[in-house]
Amino acid sequence: MTQYAYFFGCVIPNRYPGIEYAVRWVCGSDGFNLDVEDIEEFSCCPVPGIFYSSDKRTWLLIAARNLTLAQNERREILTVCNGCLTSLLKATENLADPKNLGRVNRVLSQIGRKYIGIPTKTEGRRRVMGPVKVRHYVDVMINDVGLETIAERTRKPLSNVRAAVHYGCHYLRPTEKQTIDDPNDPVNIDLIIEKCGATSIEYEDKLDCCGAGGGVRSHVVELANSITEDKCRKIADAGADCIVTGCPFCLLQFDNAQKSFTKEGIPVMHISQFQAIAMGVDPNSLGFDTHHVSVHSFIRKLRGT
Amino acid sequence: MGEVEKTFIGGLHEKLAEDKIIDESHLEPNFAKEIVKHGGKDVMTCLQCGNCTGVCPISLKIDYKTRSIIKFCQFGLKKFTLEMRWVCATCYRCYEYCPADINPAEVMIALRHMAIKEGVIPPFIKLAATNLVEYGQSVKPDSEIERVRRELDLEDMPSRTRGYAKVVREINLLVRSTGYDRLIGIESEVRG
Amino acid sequence: MPVLAWSDDVNSYESLGENGVGETAREVNSISSNPRIGVFICHCGSNIAGTVNPSKVREAAEKLPGVVTAKENKYTCSDLGQDEIISAIKQNGVERVVIAACSPRMHEPTFRNCVKQAGLNPYLLQMVNLREQCSWVHSREKDKATEKAIGLVRMGVAKAARLEPLEAREVPVEQSSLVIGGGVAGIQAALDLAEMGFKVYVVESEPSIGGRMAQLDKTFPTGDCAICILAPKMVELSRHPNITLLSYSEVEEIHGFIGNYNVKVRKKARYVDESKCVGCGVCADACPVKVDNKFDLGFGKRKAIYVPFPQAVPLKYTIDRENCIHFKTGKCGACVKACSNDAIDYEIVDDEIELKVGTIICATGFDIYVPKKRDVYRYWESRNVITGLELERLINASGPTGGNFIRPSDGKPPKRVAFIQCVGSRNRKLGSAYCSRVCCMYTIKNAQIIKEHQPDTDIAVYYNDIRAFGKGFEELYHRVREEYGIEFIRGRPAKLSENPETGSITIRAEETLLSKITEREFDLIVLATGLKPSEGSKRIGKVLPLSLSSDGFFQEAHPKLRPVDTAIDGIYLAGCAQGPKDIPDSVAQAKAAAASAAAIMAGKQVRIEPLTAIVDEELCVGCGLCVEMCPYGAPEVHESETGSKAKIVEALCHGCGTCVPACPQKAIAANQFTDEQITSEIASALGGVGRAAGKTKKDANRAEGA
Repeated sequence: MTQYAYFFGCVIPNRYPGIEYAVRWVCGSDGFNLDVEDIEEFSCCPVPGIFYSSDKRTWLLIAARNLTLAQNERREILTVCNGCLTSLLKATENLADPKNLGRVNRVLSQIGRKYIGIPTKTEGRRRVMGPVKVRHYVDVMINDVGLETIAERTRKPLSNVRAAVHYGCHYLRPTEKQTIDDPNDPVNIDLIIEKCGATSIEYEDKLDCCGAGGGVRSHVVELANSITEDKCRKIADAGADCIVTGCPFCLLQFDNAQKSFTKEGIPVMHISQFQAIAMGVDPNSLGFDTHHVSVHSFIRKLRGT
Repeated sequence: MGEVEKTFIGGLHEKLAEDKIIDESHLEPNFAKEIVKHGGKDVMTCLQCGNCTGVCPISLKIDYKTRSIIKFCQFGLKKFTLEMRWVCATCYRCYEYCPADINPAEVMIALRHMAIKEGVIPPFIKLAATNLVEYGQSVKPDSEIERVRRELDLEDMPSRTRGYAKVVREINLLVRSTGYDRLIGIESEVRG
Repeated sequence: MPVLAWSDDVNSYESLGENGVGETAREVNSISSNPRIGVFICHCGSNIAGTVNPSKVREAAEKLPGVVTAKENKYTCSDLGQDEIISAIKQNGVERVVIAACSPRMHEPTFRNCVKQAGLNPYLLQMVNLREQCSWVHSREKDKATEKAIGLVRMGVAKAARLEPLEAREVPVEQSSLVIGGGVAGIQAALDLAEMGFKVYVVESEPSIGGRMAQLDKTFPTGDCAICILAPKMVELSRHPNITLLSYSEVEEIHGFIGNYNVKVRKKARYVDESKCVGCGVCADACPVKVDNKFDLGFGKRKAIYVPFPQAVPLKYTIDRENCIHFKTGKCGACVKACSNDAIDYEIVDDEIELKVGTIICATGFDIYVPKKRDVYRYWESRNVITGLELERLINASGPTGGNFIRPSDGKPPKRVAFIQCVGSRNRKLGSAYCSRVCCMYTIKNAQIIKEHQPDTDIAVYYNDIRAFGKGFEELYHRVREEYGIEFIRGRPAKLSENPETGSITIRAEETLLSKITEREFDLIVLATGLKPSEGSKRIGKVLPLSLSSDGFFQEAHPKLRPVDTAIDGIYLAGCAQGPKDIPDSVAQAKAAAASAAAIMAGKQVRIEPLTAIVDEELCVGCGLCVEMCPYGAPEVHESETGSKAKIVEALCHGCGTCVPACPQKAIAANQFTDEQITSEIASALGGVGRAAGKTKKDANRAEGA
């Protein structure tokens, strides 16, 4: 059985603890009972829009430090955030270049760390090292847990819920070399939603960006919000009860931006929260009170009132 | 006259309207090579088809045309790329369909690196970097959220535990090792 | 191995052999014989002399063992240069010639002739490549390039001393040709060869010849109807006494060599006796099965017994086994009952035919790029997005709509049409970086035809660059703008969205010349899909080891000077098999290929290079490993008095050398690449590094380390 290490990143623990609760519940003994542990020394991944954009050396060092932690525990990193996914995956690709690896390890030696990767196979006496595996929560759900198991564990099918899936750009295109879903025709989150008994609706420009990435939200929030507004309008036109995403930063953008152009807004949640509800967790214990857009409308719909 | 220029050259080029003629003093020789050095692909292979602009979420909203930025890069018109480089959402859709197989988003990131070196540092970079060296995380902890965490029976944030001080020390060392603190002007925040 | 003595008049110079070797006498003595070597260094204008210092190379060459003369030439390949070589050979009694110039690919035959004219065996020549492998690649390091050039010449001289005379053989040439592919290129090549009096076999995998051109409506830039100008040629081909048409057939195997190819062709069963079928079509009327017509790209229907189009040649019906009820259930038989000539026979089986031909022309054509699913262009998702070839069928008078220009979704004539250029071409992401060369013009031509059909249609062309380079092309490009007001928009569409109610499609694109993003609605979208290597080419690629260029099309022997030849002697290329091209170019290349093939056949005899493998029977134990290794079937094991021995059939041997290292007994050698010749080159190269680079102790150490 694959062993994982939780990597929650910065946004989830500090802004949306409900997601952390949901992920721990879904992966834990009440849920799919995966072998996941916490590694407390994980830091920020670091944020691609800030550090990858301003200095690749610093970005690579901090990412490599996180990778060594998982490497020493021989665990795969289970990310719950598209940003963490792209940052750490890109770092493993960068570290495949021996020059980069040498430079990084020279600095890391000062804090007693070394990135070597994990052994993948042995050729004669030689061990062949591969990169530390970085996995997205959705990827683990589809490929390790399996859709059948997800369907089996659905206690309260959300049969009257119409969910609008937002994948998020860095889930679709984490790096140039690797993808976890078809960037032009992704299906994984839709499939999970269907196995939870709900309907994943089609809407126009489903694969469009939320507008927040690359520092745009931090830099020119109006610009980011206007892109989100377009997307929310299309989602509303399609008659969605909620927006479901695999990325807490997209979630944060949908959640915050909606304040700027509407009073009500469409509830936004992480796929893990959606799953937790379908698996029988009380929606009131999923930390929705930290969300800016109220989920009341969604909960009313759940109860069929 | 201004209106005419706006219509015919496009708003993006308002700067062009100021300098009617771009003479050689505007051109930065070897700009394309410099971009490659900063991790971008070779912009000289761009066909200027405009596909990147058409798929760009930002280009739909403001006077920012991905293709134009690449064109400026081809020409070596560094100064025209200065302000535009921070609005890329790094969604990589431009990369997805680029027939020349350039990665315009990575070009934007290379341009950001150059801007940082020239001291053009947007405040949010400093803010996030300060959080990182202080808490080991880019998002500042929030007491209200900490209360919710306790309600949800979640453990305290690792950054609130005593052992985490070591992590912050390590991060500070890494940040100092590349001179990142001096690069973006947060020396005073860095400890150790 | 003793070096063979050369012809009498040269032998008389042997007494001069000791002259001029002075200080290197010891090395010379280690060679069993010491032929007199002449070295000729070419400047190639500034191509070589601009980087390499030829005088230094000459000075170094003069000091090499066995070298009796070393000369420089501005252009060795010129008349003057060749004269100098000839006179130097005669004056100095040169027995082995080293020419340090360019790649042997182009000029080795030239210099072999030159050496022969001087009275030497033409294979006593060694070429040293100072251009492609030295000056061109080291243009920034002139001193080192000169040093390398000296090293290369030293290697060449070492090998030249061990060269042996060889004799080229002449073999008779079969007076017949095989043309693979019955498109316009294949048709033209076959007709030309047949007119010259050669027997021609045309093999076409489809039931009819005609190829892609038969599917087109009009041709650019003149607007001739494609089938109207092609059909007469198709008929002429089928009736020509010198041509045997093998339609609905596949080339299965090709063996042999120039002048003597053995070809195995499989004639697929039509289930209709070609000798009895008169093409009346009564069977098709009776057939109850309707399927999409592949020739009309799925727009029209045909029966399970069919001819692909009315002008098909041969006009013989074919049963499509996959859809025929008889082959699925064993019942029906409607066509058998209908045919008054008893032509239909379900029991017919594939037939194997063996041909013997002297030359082969490969004209296997192209396929159309098929857009991907869930792509930007919505080809699979929207009915009103079609390809250029589909449009050709939709506007064709003999097409599924009878020439009425309507759109697929509702059968109404579209009022607004957009063409999107470079779909599947000039795209590195798709691995097709090349330009398909015909899409700009067929779009412009089709825009004109649409305007002629329905003058009130608005037409826009989304393009990257318009390439109107051929005769009359630019004029047509001008005319469609001037007369028809076709709009050209420079930009690559980024998004197509369909209005589910009307079926119309909105294109979002940046108009790059305006730097504005625009959204415009159209009723029909035509994708100017590019050309890619055909499936037929891929099948032939498995039968014939033809090399491919980076775009995946067959590679010509030389891009300028041997544009229809392949690397295999006696095999030629015609049409789009070699790369995308329009009809005039395809026809021109077909005529060139026919002329090249005819030149070989008209000679009746062809010279076979003696660069083959040879077996030393004393060492051979007849294990047969060489037979297994050889890709050309050249070695044979036969019984002799001394046991079983391998023998190389020279005519089949390509001199590739695969068998040489495979032989556990070291009994096989390749002519002009014997172990001794190659080790002498290597030894002189290694011996030379220390000397050339060892100016300081450090350099010498580095050289040793290397």
